[in-house]
Amino acid sequence: MSTNDQNTELYGILAEFKNPKALIDASEKVVEAGYDKFDTYAPFPIHGIDKAMNLPKSKLGWIVLGHGLLGFSGAIAMMYFMSVIDYPINISGKPFFNAPAWVPITFELTVLLSAFGAVFGMFFLNGLPRLNHPLFNVERFKKATDDGFFVCIEATDSKFQADLVRQLFEEAGATHIEEVYD
Amino acid sequence: MSHKPTITDSLKFSADSKIPQVLLGVGVIGLILSAIGAYTNTDQFLFSYLVSFVFFTGIALASIFMVMFHHITKSKWGVVVRRIPETFGSNMKWWTIAFLPILGGMTILYHHWTDPTLFDPNSPNFDYIVAKKEAYLNVPFFIIRQVIYFAIWGFVGHKLYKASVELEKTGDWGITTLMRKVSAPAIPIFGLSIAFASFDWLMSLDPHWFSTMFGVYFFAISFQSFWAIMILMVFFLHRNGYLKNTIGQAHIYDLGAWLFAFTVFYAYIAFSQFLLIYYANLPEETLWFYHRLEGGYEYIAYGLLLFRFALPFLVLLNREQKHKRSVLAFVAIVVVVIHFFELHWIVKPAFYSEDAHGLSFSWMDFSTFLGLGGIFFWLFFNRFKQNSMIPENDPKLDECLEKTYHQ
Repeated sequence: MSTNDQNTELYGILAEFKNPKALIDASEKVVEAGYDKFDTYAPFPIHGIDKAMNLPKSKLGWIVLGHGLLGFSGAIAMMYFMSVIDYPINISGKPFFNAPAWVPITFELTVLLSAFGAVFGMFFLNGLPRLNHPLFNVERFKKATDDGFFVCIEATDSKFQADLVRQLFEEAGATHIEEVYD
Repeated sequence: MSHKPTITDSLKFSADSKIPQVLLGVGVIGLILSAIGAYTNTDQFLFSYLVSFVFFTGIALASIFMVMFHHITKSKWGVVVRRIPETFGSNMKWWTIAFLPILGGMTILYHHWTDPTLFDPNSPNFDYIVAKKEAYLNVPFFIIRQVIYFAIWGFVGHKLYKASVELEKTGDWGITTLMRKVSAPAIPIFGLSIAFASFDWLMSLDPHWFSTMFGVYFFAISFQSFWAIMILMVFFLHRNGYLKNTIGQAHIYDLGAWLFAFTVFYAYIAFSQFLLIYYANLPEETLWFYHRLEGGYEYIAYGLLLFRFALPFLVLLNREQKHKRSVLAFVAIVVVVIHFFELHWIVKPAFYSEDAHGLSFSWMDFSTFLGLGGIFFWLFFNRFKQNSMIPENDPKLDECLEKTYHQ
Protein backbone atom coordinates (compact mmCIF):
# COMPACT_ATOMS: atom_id res chain seq x y z
CA MET A 1 0.00 0.00 0.00
CA SER A 2 2.63 2.46 0.99
CA THR A 3 4.90 1.88 -1.98
CA ASN A 4 5.87 5.19 -3.45
CA ASP A 5 5.69 5.07 -7.24
CA GLN A 6 5.52 8.11 -9.48
CA ASN A 7 1.69 8.38 -9.50
CA THR A 8 1.31 8.83 -5.76
CA GLU A 9 2.15 11.75 -3.61
CA LEU A 10 2.52 12.11 0.10
CA TYR A 11 -0.80 12.95 1.80
CA GLY A 12 0.50 13.15 5.34
CA ILE A 13 1.94 11.25 8.24
CA LEU A 14 -0.31 9.14 10.42
CA ALA A 15 0.51 8.22 14.00
CA GLU A 16 -1.35 5.87 16.28
CA PHE A 17 -1.72 6.42 20.00
CA LYS A 18 -2.62 4.14 22.85
CA ASN A 19 -5.74 5.71 24.31
CA PRO A 20 -7.93 8.84 24.30
CA LYS A 21 -5.77 10.53 26.93
CA ALA A 22 -2.63 10.03 24.81
CA LEU A 23 -4.54 11.33 21.80
CA ILE A 24 -5.51 14.52 23.62
CA ASP A 25 -1.93 15.06 24.84
CA ALA A 26 -0.60 14.41 21.34
CA SER A 27 -2.97 16.88 19.69
CA GLU A 28 -1.97 19.50 22.26
CA LYS A 29 1.66 18.93 21.30
CA VAL A 30 0.83 19.16 17.59
CA VAL A 31 -0.94 22.47 18.16
CA GLU A 32 1.98 23.70 20.24
CA ALA A 33 4.40 22.84 17.43
CA GLY A 34 2.36 25.14 15.20
CA TYR A 35 0.62 22.75 12.81
CA ASP A 36 -2.92 23.55 11.84
CA LYS A 37 -3.68 21.15 8.96
CA PHE A 38 -4.16 18.00 10.95
CA ASP A 39 -7.02 15.88 12.21
CA THR A 40 -7.62 13.26 14.87
CA TYR A 41 -9.54 10.01 14.46
CA ALA A 42 -11.11 7.95 17.21
CA PRO A 43 -13.84 5.29 17.42
CA PHE A 44 -15.99 7.46 19.70
CA PRO A 45 -16.39 11.15 20.60
CA ILE A 46 -13.80 12.31 23.12
CA HIS A 47 -14.68 15.15 25.47
CA GLY A 48 -12.22 18.00 25.25
CA ILE A 49 -10.61 16.93 21.98
CA ASP A 50 -11.88 20.02 20.17
CA LYS A 51 -10.23 22.17 22.81
CA ALA A 52 -6.97 20.20 22.61
CA MET A 53 -6.99 20.57 18.83
CA ASN A 54 -7.61 24.28 19.17
CA LEU A 55 -10.55 24.09 16.78
CA PRO A 56 -12.43 27.31 16.14
CA LYS A 57 -16.12 27.42 17.03
CA SER A 58 -18.15 25.69 14.34
CA LYS A 59 -19.77 27.92 11.74
CA LEU A 60 -22.68 25.49 11.48
CA GLY A 61 -24.87 27.51 13.86
CA TRP A 62 -24.76 30.52 11.54
CA ILE A 63 -25.63 28.37 8.52
CA VAL A 64 -28.62 26.96 10.42
CA LEU A 65 -29.71 30.43 11.51
CA GLY A 66 -29.56 31.69 7.92
CA HIS A 67 -31.63 28.79 6.66
CA GLY A 68 -34.09 29.18 9.52
CA LEU A 69 -34.63 32.85 8.73
CA LEU A 70 -35.00 32.00 5.05
CA GLY A 71 -37.67 29.41 5.91
CA PHE A 72 -39.43 31.86 8.22
CA SER A 73 -39.59 34.73 5.75
CA GLY A 74 -40.15 32.43 2.79
CA ALA A 75 -43.19 30.85 4.45
CA ILE A 76 -44.72 34.22 5.24
CA ALA A 77 -43.99 35.57 1.77
CA MET A 78 -45.50 32.46 0.17
CA MET A 79 -48.68 32.60 2.22
CA TYR A 80 -48.96 36.33 1.77
CA PHE A 81 -48.78 35.93 -1.98
CA MET A 82 -51.28 33.05 -1.99
CA SER A 83 -53.94 34.27 0.44
CA VAL A 84 -53.69 38.05 0.14
CA ILE A 85 -52.53 38.84 -3.39
CA ASP A 86 -53.17 35.95 -5.71
CA TYR A 87 -56.28 34.20 -4.48
CA PRO A 88 -57.89 35.77 -1.40
CA ILE A 89 -60.72 33.67 0.04
CA ASN A 90 -63.01 34.76 2.83
CA ILE A 91 -62.84 32.00 5.46
CA SER A 92 -65.47 32.54 8.17
CA GLY A 93 -64.90 36.26 8.14
CA LYS A 94 -61.27 36.05 9.19
CA PRO A 95 -58.81 38.56 7.73
CA PHE A 96 -56.79 37.58 4.67
CA PHE A 97 -53.62 38.32 6.56
CA ASN A 98 -54.47 35.70 9.15
CA ALA A 99 -51.44 35.65 11.43
CA PRO A 100 -52.46 32.91 13.95
CA ALA A 101 -53.42 30.49 11.20
CA TRP A 102 -50.10 31.06 9.49
CA VAL A 103 -48.03 30.08 12.48
CA PRO A 104 -47.97 26.29 11.91
CA ILE A 105 -46.72 26.55 8.32
CA THR A 106 -44.20 29.24 9.23
CA PHE A 107 -42.97 27.03 12.05
CA GLU A 108 -42.77 23.95 9.84
CA LEU A 109 -40.83 25.67 7.09
CA THR A 110 -38.47 27.29 9.58
CA VAL A 111 -37.74 23.92 11.16
CA LEU A 112 -37.48 22.14 7.81
CA LEU A 113 -35.00 24.57 6.32
CA SER A 114 -33.05 24.73 9.59
CA ALA A 115 -32.76 20.95 9.53
CA PHE A 116 -31.64 21.04 5.89
CA GLY A 117 -29.15 23.73 6.82
CA ALA A 118 -27.83 21.61 9.67
CA VAL A 119 -27.47 18.38 7.70
CA PHE A 120 -26.25 19.74 4.37
CA GLY A 121 -24.21 22.46 6.07
CA MET A 122 -22.46 19.71 8.01
CA PHE A 123 -21.84 17.83 4.72
CA PHE A 124 -20.47 20.98 3.14
CA LEU A 125 -18.19 21.86 6.06
CA ASN A 126 -16.88 18.29 6.18
CA GLY A 127 -16.24 18.21 2.44
CA LEU A 128 -18.83 15.46 1.94
CA PRO A 129 -19.88 13.58 -0.03
CA ARG A 130 -16.64 12.07 -1.31
CA LEU A 131 -15.97 8.57 -2.53
CA ASN A 132 -12.57 7.89 -1.05
CA HIS A 133 -10.02 9.31 1.31
CA PRO A 134 -6.23 8.83 1.21
CA LEU A 135 -6.31 7.52 4.78
CA PHE A 136 -8.23 4.46 3.59
CA ASN A 137 -5.01 3.40 1.80
CA VAL A 138 -3.58 2.58 5.20
CA GLU A 139 -4.53 -0.91 6.33
CA ARG A 140 -4.00 0.00 9.96
CA PHE A 141 -6.47 2.89 9.75
CA LYS A 142 -9.35 0.40 9.91
CA LYS A 143 -8.70 0.35 13.65
CA ALA A 144 -10.13 3.89 13.85
CA THR A 145 -13.59 2.36 13.98
CA ASP A 146 -12.57 -0.11 16.68
CA ASP A 147 -9.71 0.64 19.04
CA GLY A 148 -7.30 2.95 17.20
CA PHE A 149 -6.61 6.57 18.09
CA PHE A 150 -4.90 8.43 15.26
CA VAL A 151 -3.43 11.80 14.45
CA CYS A 152 -2.60 12.73 10.87
CA ILE A 153 -0.63 15.83 9.95
CA GLU A 154 -1.24 16.66 6.32
CA ALA A 155 1.51 17.39 3.83
CA THR A 156 -0.21 20.60 2.74
CA ASP A 157 0.58 22.18 6.09
CA SER A 158 2.97 25.08 5.58
CA LYS A 159 5.28 23.80 8.33
CA PHE A 160 5.25 20.21 7.10
CA GLN A 161 8.61 18.44 7.07
CA ALA A 162 8.45 14.67 7.16
CA ASP A 163 11.38 14.08 9.52
CA LEU A 164 10.27 16.79 11.97
CA VAL A 165 6.74 15.41 12.05
CA ARG A 166 8.04 11.89 12.69
CA GLN A 167 10.21 13.21 15.48
CA LEU A 168 7.27 15.06 17.03
CA PHE A 169 5.11 11.95 16.99
CA GLU A 170 7.87 9.88 18.51
CA GLU A 171 8.27 12.40 21.34
CA ALA A 172 4.49 12.39 21.88
CA GLY A 173 4.58 8.65 22.44
CA ALA A 174 3.07 7.28 19.23
CA THR A 175 2.89 3.50 19.08
CA HIS A 176 3.05 3.40 15.28
CA ILE A 177 3.98 5.96 12.61
CA GLU A 178 3.27 5.60 8.92
CA GLU A 179 3.35 7.71 5.78
CA VAL A 180 0.08 8.07 3.88
CA TYR A 181 0.10 8.28 0.09
CA ASP A 182 -2.71 9.46 -2.07
CA MET B 1 -10.99 9.88 37.60
CA SER B 2 -11.67 7.94 40.76
CA HIS B 3 -10.91 10.57 43.34
CA LYS B 4 -13.82 11.62 45.53
CA PRO B 5 -14.84 15.24 45.02
CA THR B 6 -14.61 17.21 48.21
CA ILE B 7 -17.22 19.67 49.33
CA THR B 8 -15.70 22.84 50.70
CA ASP B 9 -18.93 24.67 51.51
CA SER B 10 -20.86 24.55 54.72
CA LEU B 11 -23.98 22.53 53.97
CA LYS B 12 -26.19 23.91 56.69
CA PHE B 13 -28.37 26.92 56.21
CA SER B 14 -27.51 29.18 59.13
CA ALA B 15 -29.98 28.56 61.97
CA ASP B 16 -29.90 32.17 63.12
CA SER B 17 -30.39 33.67 59.68
CA LYS B 18 -32.91 36.51 59.75
CA ILE B 19 -34.37 35.52 56.39
CA PRO B 20 -37.21 33.29 57.66
CA GLN B 21 -38.34 35.91 60.19
CA VAL B 22 -38.38 38.62 57.54
CA LEU B 23 -40.41 36.40 55.24
CA LEU B 24 -42.83 35.52 58.03
CA GLY B 25 -43.21 39.22 58.79
CA VAL B 26 -43.95 40.04 55.14
CA GLY B 27 -46.39 37.14 54.95
CA VAL B 28 -48.27 38.08 58.12
CA ILE B 29 -48.51 41.75 57.15
CA GLY B 30 -49.71 40.81 53.67
CA LEU B 31 -52.30 38.44 55.04
CA ILE B 32 -53.56 40.95 57.65
CA LEU B 33 -53.96 43.59 54.94
CA SER B 34 -55.72 41.02 52.76
CA ALA B 35 -58.00 40.08 55.65
CA ILE B 36 -59.03 43.72 55.94
CA GLY B 37 -59.62 43.66 52.18
CA ALA B 38 -61.66 40.49 52.54
CA TYR B 39 -63.87 42.29 55.02
CA THR B 40 -64.41 45.38 52.85
CA ASN B 41 -64.57 43.77 49.40
CA THR B 42 -64.93 40.01 49.62
CA ASP B 43 -65.35 39.41 45.88
CA GLN B 44 -62.19 41.26 44.94
CA PHE B 45 -60.27 39.54 47.73
CA LEU B 46 -61.27 36.08 46.57
CA PHE B 47 -60.21 36.63 42.98
CA SER B 48 -56.90 38.19 44.03
CA TYR B 49 -56.32 35.39 46.49
CA LEU B 50 -57.03 32.73 43.87
CA VAL B 51 -54.36 34.19 41.55
CA SER B 52 -51.71 34.18 44.27
CA PHE B 53 -52.72 30.79 45.58
CA VAL B 54 -52.49 29.18 42.16
CA PHE B 55 -49.15 30.90 41.54
CA PHE B 56 -47.43 29.34 44.55
CA THR B 57 -49.28 26.03 44.47
CA GLY B 58 -48.22 25.58 40.86
CA ILE B 59 -44.59 26.04 41.85
CA ALA B 60 -44.87 23.53 44.69
CA LEU B 61 -46.54 20.99 42.39
CA ALA B 62 -43.90 21.44 39.71
CA SER B 63 -41.28 20.94 42.44
CA ILE B 64 -42.69 17.57 43.43
CA PHE B 65 -42.93 16.61 39.77
CA MET B 66 -39.32 17.51 39.16
CA VAL B 67 -38.16 15.44 42.14
CA MET B 68 -40.19 12.48 40.90
CA PHE B 69 -38.83 12.46 37.37
CA HIS B 70 -35.38 13.01 38.78
CA HIS B 71 -35.74 9.79 40.76
CA ILE B 72 -37.39 7.78 38.06
CA THR B 73 -34.79 8.60 35.42
CA LYS B 74 -31.97 8.06 37.96
CA SER B 75 -30.68 11.47 36.95
CA LYS B 76 -27.45 12.83 38.23
CA TRP B 77 -27.46 16.30 36.71
CA GLY B 78 -29.48 17.92 39.48
CA VAL B 79 -28.60 16.13 42.70
CA VAL B 80 -27.02 19.25 44.16
CA VAL B 81 -30.13 21.35 43.59
CA ARG B 82 -32.67 18.64 44.38
CA ARG B 83 -33.10 19.59 48.03
CA ILE B 84 -34.71 22.87 47.00
CA PRO B 85 -37.74 21.33 45.18
CA GLU B 86 -37.90 18.57 47.79
CA THR B 87 -38.31 21.22 50.46
CA PHE B 88 -40.97 23.08 48.48
CA GLY B 89 -42.85 19.82 48.06
CA SER B 90 -42.53 18.80 51.68
CA ASN B 91 -44.61 21.81 52.73
CA MET B 92 -47.53 20.84 50.54
CA LYS B 93 -49.29 19.27 53.52
CA TRP B 94 -49.31 22.61 55.38
CA TRP B 95 -50.11 24.51 52.24
CA THR B 96 -53.56 22.85 52.26
CA ILE B 97 -54.55 25.42 54.88
CA ALA B 98 -54.01 28.15 52.31
CA PHE B 99 -56.78 26.62 50.23
CA LEU B 100 -59.43 27.12 52.94
CA PRO B 101 -60.35 30.72 52.01
CA ILE B 102 -61.11 29.54 48.47
CA LEU B 103 -63.24 26.70 49.79
CA GLY B 104 -65.03 29.18 52.08
CA GLY B 105 -65.68 31.60 49.23
CA MET B 106 -66.45 29.11 46.52
CA THR B 107 -70.06 30.16 46.19
CA ILE B 108 -68.80 33.61 45.24
CA LEU B 109 -65.80 32.61 43.12
CA TYR B 110 -67.63 29.88 41.27
CA HIS B 111 -71.13 31.35 41.38
CA HIS B 112 -71.49 30.54 37.67
CA TRP B 113 -72.08 26.93 38.66
CA THR B 114 -72.64 26.83 42.45
CA ASP B 115 -75.97 28.67 42.21
CA PRO B 116 -78.66 25.92 42.55
CA THR B 117 -81.21 27.81 40.43
CA LEU B 118 -78.99 27.22 37.37
CA PHE B 119 -79.95 23.58 37.47
CA ASP B 120 -83.68 24.09 37.90
CA PRO B 121 -85.50 23.91 34.53
CA ASN B 122 -88.38 26.02 35.87
CA SER B 123 -86.18 28.82 37.07
CA PRO B 124 -85.47 31.87 34.87
CA ASN B 125 -81.78 31.35 35.66
CA PHE B 126 -81.81 27.86 34.19
CA ASP B 127 -78.63 27.27 32.20
CA TYR B 128 -78.86 24.34 29.84
CA ILE B 129 -75.08 23.99 29.34
CA VAL B 130 -74.18 24.16 33.02
CA ALA B 131 -77.08 21.84 33.96
CA LYS B 132 -75.60 19.22 31.63
CA LYS B 133 -72.35 19.43 33.56
CA GLU B 134 -73.99 18.96 36.95
CA ALA B 135 -72.47 15.51 37.45
CA TYR B 136 -69.05 17.09 37.72
CA LEU B 137 -69.77 20.67 38.70
CA ASN B 138 -71.48 20.32 42.05
CA VAL B 139 -70.37 21.47 45.47
CA PRO B 140 -69.99 18.13 47.30
CA PHE B 141 -68.00 16.54 44.49
CA PHE B 142 -65.84 19.66 44.22
CA ILE B 143 -64.97 19.40 47.92
CA ILE B 144 -64.28 15.65 47.65
CA ARG B 145 -61.92 16.28 44.75
CA GLN B 146 -60.01 18.94 46.65
CA VAL B 147 -59.56 16.54 49.58
CA ILE B 148 -58.21 13.90 47.21
CA TYR B 149 -55.80 16.31 45.50
CA PHE B 150 -54.31 17.67 48.68
CA ALA B 151 -54.10 14.22 50.25
CA ILE B 152 -52.10 12.92 47.27
CA TRP B 153 -49.87 15.97 46.99
CA GLY B 154 -49.28 16.25 50.72
CA PHE B 155 -48.45 12.56 51.02
CA VAL B 156 -46.09 12.38 48.04
CA GLY B 157 -44.31 15.63 48.90
CA HIS B 158 -43.86 14.51 52.50
CA LYS B 159 -42.75 11.01 51.56
CA LEU B 160 -40.11 12.08 49.05
CA TYR B 161 -38.64 14.62 51.42
CA LYS B 162 -38.61 12.16 54.33
CA ALA B 163 -36.93 9.48 52.22
CA SER B 164 -34.27 11.90 51.03
CA VAL B 165 -33.48 13.03 54.58
CA GLU B 166 -33.37 9.44 55.79
CA LEU B 167 -30.93 8.55 53.02
CA GLU B 168 -28.78 11.48 54.10
CA LYS B 169 -28.83 10.42 57.76
CA THR B 170 -28.35 6.67 57.33
CA GLY B 171 -26.40 6.50 54.07
CA ASP B 172 -28.54 3.53 53.07
CA TRP B 173 -28.59 3.50 49.28
CA GLY B 174 -31.50 1.07 49.28
CA ILE B 175 -33.76 4.03 49.98
CA THR B 176 -33.36 5.15 46.35
CA THR B 177 -35.49 2.12 45.44
CA LEU B 178 -38.22 3.38 47.74
CA MET B 179 -38.01 6.80 46.07
CA ARG B 180 -38.50 5.23 42.66
CA LYS B 181 -41.32 3.05 43.95
CA VAL B 182 -43.15 6.14 45.19
CA SER B 183 -42.39 8.21 42.09
CA ALA B 184 -43.34 5.73 39.39
CA PRO B 185 -47.05 5.37 40.22
CA ALA B 186 -47.28 8.94 41.50
CA ILE B 187 -46.30 10.56 38.19
CA PRO B 188 -49.47 9.64 36.25
CA ILE B 189 -51.64 10.24 39.33
CA PHE B 190 -50.00 13.64 39.72
CA GLY B 191 -50.49 14.49 36.08
CA LEU B 192 -54.20 13.79 36.33
CA SER B 193 -54.67 15.51 39.67
CA ILE B 194 -52.90 18.67 38.46
CA ALA B 195 -55.04 18.69 35.32
CA PHE B 196 -58.28 18.27 37.25
CA ALA B 197 -57.23 20.81 39.85
CA SER B 198 -56.69 23.35 37.08
CA PHE B 199 -60.14 22.54 35.69
CA ASP B 200 -61.64 23.08 39.14
CA TRP B 201 -59.76 26.22 40.12
CA LEU B 202 -59.39 28.09 36.86
CA MET B 203 -61.48 26.62 34.07
CA SER B 204 -64.68 26.35 36.10
CA LEU B 205 -64.62 30.12 36.68
CA ASP B 206 -66.28 30.21 33.29
CA PRO B 207 -68.20 26.92 33.21
CA HIS B 208 -69.46 27.32 29.63
CA TRP B 209 -65.95 27.20 28.33
CA PHE B 210 -63.79 24.12 28.11
CA SER B 211 -60.42 23.26 26.74
CA THR B 212 -59.24 19.68 26.87
CA MET B 213 -55.62 20.74 27.05
CA PHE B 214 -56.10 23.22 29.87
CA GLY B 215 -54.48 20.82 32.33
CA VAL B 216 -51.35 20.60 30.20
CA TYR B 217 -51.41 24.35 29.79
CA PHE B 218 -51.49 24.86 33.55
CA PHE B 219 -48.69 22.33 33.92
CA ALA B 220 -46.63 24.16 31.30
CA ILE B 221 -46.99 27.63 32.80
CA SER B 222 -46.27 26.33 36.31
CA PHE B 223 -43.24 24.38 35.19
CA GLN B 224 -41.71 27.21 33.23
CA SER B 225 -41.94 29.54 36.19
CA PHE B 226 -40.71 26.77 38.47
CA TRP B 227 -37.38 26.67 36.59
CA ALA B 228 -37.17 30.43 36.81
CA ILE B 229 -37.74 30.24 40.57
CA MET B 230 -35.08 27.52 40.82
CA ILE B 231 -32.52 29.73 39.08
CA LEU B 232 -33.39 32.63 41.35
CA MET B 233 -33.20 30.42 44.46
CA VAL B 234 -29.71 29.22 43.49
CA PHE B 235 -28.56 32.79 42.88
CA PHE B 236 -30.12 33.85 46.17
CA LEU B 237 -28.20 31.13 48.04
CA HIS B 238 -24.97 32.08 46.27
CA ARG B 239 -25.51 35.71 47.11
CA ASN B 240 -25.82 34.84 50.76
CA GLY B 241 -22.63 32.84 50.56
CA TYR B 242 -24.15 29.36 50.49
CA LEU B 243 -23.08 26.44 48.29
CA LYS B 244 -20.85 28.67 46.18
CA ASN B 245 -18.51 25.86 45.20
CA THR B 246 -21.07 23.08 45.32
CA ILE B 247 -23.61 24.35 42.81
CA GLY B 248 -21.35 25.16 39.92
CA GLN B 249 -21.51 26.58 36.44
CA ALA B 250 -22.50 23.23 34.92
CA HIS B 251 -25.56 22.96 37.18
CA ILE B 252 -26.64 26.52 36.53
CA TYR B 253 -26.28 25.89 32.81
CA ASP B 254 -28.58 22.86 33.15
CA LEU B 255 -31.23 24.94 34.90
CA GLY B 256 -30.96 27.51 32.11
CA ALA B 257 -31.40 24.76 29.53
CA TRP B 258 -34.52 23.55 31.35
CA LEU B 259 -35.93 27.05 31.41
CA PHE B 260 -35.31 27.29 27.68
CA ALA B 261 -36.91 23.91 27.03
CA PHE B 262 -40.02 24.78 28.99
CA THR B 263 -40.24 28.15 27.28
CA VAL B 264 -40.65 26.29 24.01
CA PHE B 265 -43.02 23.77 25.61
CA TYR B 266 -45.13 26.59 27.03
CA ALA B 267 -45.34 28.36 23.69
CA TYR B 268 -46.30 25.15 21.93
CA ILE B 269 -49.06 24.31 24.41
CA ALA B 270 -50.43 27.81 24.90
CA PHE B 271 -50.50 28.53 21.19
CA SER B 272 -52.01 25.16 20.29
CA GLN B 273 -54.84 25.82 22.72
CA PHE B 274 -55.45 29.22 21.20
CA LEU B 275 -55.09 28.20 17.55
CA LEU B 276 -57.59 25.33 17.66
CA ILE B 277 -60.21 27.50 19.28
CA TYR B 278 -59.50 30.42 16.97
CA TYR B 279 -59.69 28.28 13.89
CA ALA B 280 -62.78 26.28 14.80
CA ASN B 281 -64.51 29.51 15.76
CA LEU B 282 -67.26 27.92 17.89
CA PRO B 283 -69.06 30.57 19.97
CA GLU B 284 -68.95 28.45 23.11
CA GLU B 285 -65.17 28.18 22.94
CA THR B 286 -64.11 31.50 21.47
CA LEU B 287 -65.90 33.56 24.09
CA TRP B 288 -63.23 32.80 26.69
CA PHE B 289 -60.50 34.21 24.48
CA TYR B 290 -62.76 37.02 23.35
CA HIS B 291 -63.03 38.26 26.93
CA ARG B 292 -59.26 38.00 27.26
CA LEU B 293 -58.52 39.97 24.12
CA GLU B 294 -60.54 43.08 24.93
CA GLY B 295 -60.81 45.77 27.56
CA GLY B 296 -57.06 46.05 28.12
CA TYR B 297 -56.48 42.31 28.53
CA GLU B 298 -55.12 42.18 24.99
CA TYR B 299 -52.01 43.97 26.27
CA ILE B 300 -51.35 41.10 28.67
CA ALA B 301 -52.02 38.62 25.85
CA TYR B 302 -49.45 40.27 23.58
CA GLY B 303 -47.15 40.64 26.57
CA LEU B 304 -47.30 36.87 27.04
CA LEU B 305 -46.22 36.33 23.46
CA LEU B 306 -43.34 38.76 23.83
CA PHE B 307 -42.05 38.22 27.35
CA ARG B 308 -43.04 34.66 28.02
CA PHE B 309 -41.94 33.23 24.70
CA ALA B 310 -40.10 35.53 22.29
CA LEU B 311 -37.71 37.17 24.74
CA PRO B 312 -36.66 34.07 26.75
CA PHE B 313 -36.47 32.04 23.54
CA LEU B 314 -34.26 34.44 21.62
CA VAL B 315 -32.08 35.30 24.60
CA LEU B 316 -31.52 31.72 25.76
CA LEU B 317 -31.19 30.24 22.26
CA ASN B 318 -27.49 30.97 22.21
CA ARG B 319 -25.49 28.50 24.24
CA GLU B 320 -23.21 31.11 25.78
CA GLN B 321 -26.12 33.07 27.23
CA LYS B 322 -27.21 30.11 29.34
CA HIS B 323 -24.21 30.36 31.57
CA LYS B 324 -24.16 34.10 32.02
CA ARG B 325 -25.60 34.72 35.44
CA SER B 326 -26.95 38.21 34.80
CA VAL B 327 -28.74 37.05 31.65
CA LEU B 328 -30.27 34.03 33.37
CA ALA B 329 -31.36 36.10 36.36
CA PHE B 330 -32.94 38.68 34.08
CA VAL B 331 -34.88 36.11 32.05
CA ALA B 332 -35.94 34.28 35.22
CA ILE B 333 -37.34 37.45 36.75
CA VAL B 334 -39.19 38.31 33.54
CA VAL B 335 -40.74 34.82 33.49
CA VAL B 336 -41.82 34.96 37.14
CA VAL B 337 -43.40 38.38 36.71
CA ILE B 338 -45.20 37.43 33.51
CA HIS B 339 -46.44 34.24 35.18
CA PHE B 340 -48.28 36.37 37.72
CA PHE B 341 -49.79 38.43 34.90
CA GLU B 342 -50.79 35.34 32.99
CA LEU B 343 -52.70 33.95 35.97
CA HIS B 344 -54.29 37.35 36.43
CA TRP B 345 -55.25 37.23 32.75
CA ILE B 346 -56.82 33.79 33.17
CA VAL B 347 -58.73 34.56 36.37
CA LYS B 348 -59.71 38.19 36.34
CA PRO B 349 -61.85 38.46 33.20
CA ALA B 350 -64.26 36.08 34.97
CA PHE B 351 -64.72 38.73 37.65
CA TYR B 352 -67.27 41.33 36.63
CA SER B 353 -68.36 43.92 39.11
CA GLU B 354 -69.87 47.38 38.97
CA ASP B 355 -66.60 49.23 39.31
CA ALA B 356 -64.18 46.82 37.66
CA HIS B 357 -64.58 46.34 33.92
CA GLY B 358 -61.72 45.34 31.74
CA LEU B 359 -58.13 45.23 32.88
CA SER B 360 -57.77 46.39 36.45
CA PHE B 361 -55.51 45.75 39.37
CA SER B 362 -56.49 46.00 42.99
CA TRP B 363 -54.09 46.52 45.87
CA MET B 364 -55.31 43.16 47.09
CA ASP B 365 -53.67 41.46 44.10
CA PHE B 366 -50.37 42.48 45.62
CA SER B 367 -51.21 42.09 49.30
CA THR B 368 -52.38 38.50 48.81
CA PHE B 369 -49.31 37.83 46.67
CA LEU B 370 -46.96 39.14 49.36
CA GLY B 371 -48.94 37.40 52.08
CA LEU B 372 -49.00 33.97 50.49
CA GLY B 373 -45.50 34.40 49.05
CA GLY B 374 -44.09 35.34 52.44
CA ILE B 375 -45.68 32.30 54.06
CA PHE B 376 -44.67 30.02 51.20
CA PHE B 377 -41.01 30.98 51.41
CA TRP B 378 -41.05 31.15 55.20
CA LEU B 379 -42.22 27.53 55.24
CA PHE B 380 -39.47 26.77 52.77
CA PHE B 381 -36.59 28.29 54.72
CA ASN B 382 -37.93 27.02 57.99
CA ARG B 383 -37.53 23.49 56.74
CA PHE B 384 -34.50 24.20 54.60
CA LYS B 385 -32.39 25.02 57.66
CA GLN B 386 -33.26 21.78 59.43
CA ASN B 387 -31.21 19.55 57.15
CA SER B 388 -28.36 19.87 54.69
CA MET B 389 -28.95 22.02 51.67
CA ILE B 390 -27.94 19.15 49.38
CA PRO B 391 -28.88 15.47 49.70
CA GLU B 392 -25.66 14.16 51.24
CA ASN B 393 -24.80 10.49 50.81
CA ASP B 394 -26.87 10.32 47.64
CA PRO B 395 -25.31 7.66 45.38
CA LYS B 396 -25.13 10.07 42.46
CA LEU B 397 -23.93 13.10 44.36
CA ASP B 398 -20.25 12.58 43.50
CA GLU B 399 -20.96 12.28 39.80
CA CYS B 400 -23.07 15.41 39.98
CA LEU B 401 -20.35 17.35 41.77
CA GLU B 402 -17.81 16.26 39.18
CA LYS B 403 -19.89 17.67 36.39
CA THR B 404 -17.99 20.33 34.52
CA TYR B 405 -19.08 22.57 31.76
CA HIS B 406 -17.73 21.60 28.34
CA GLN B 407 -17.31 24.60 26.16
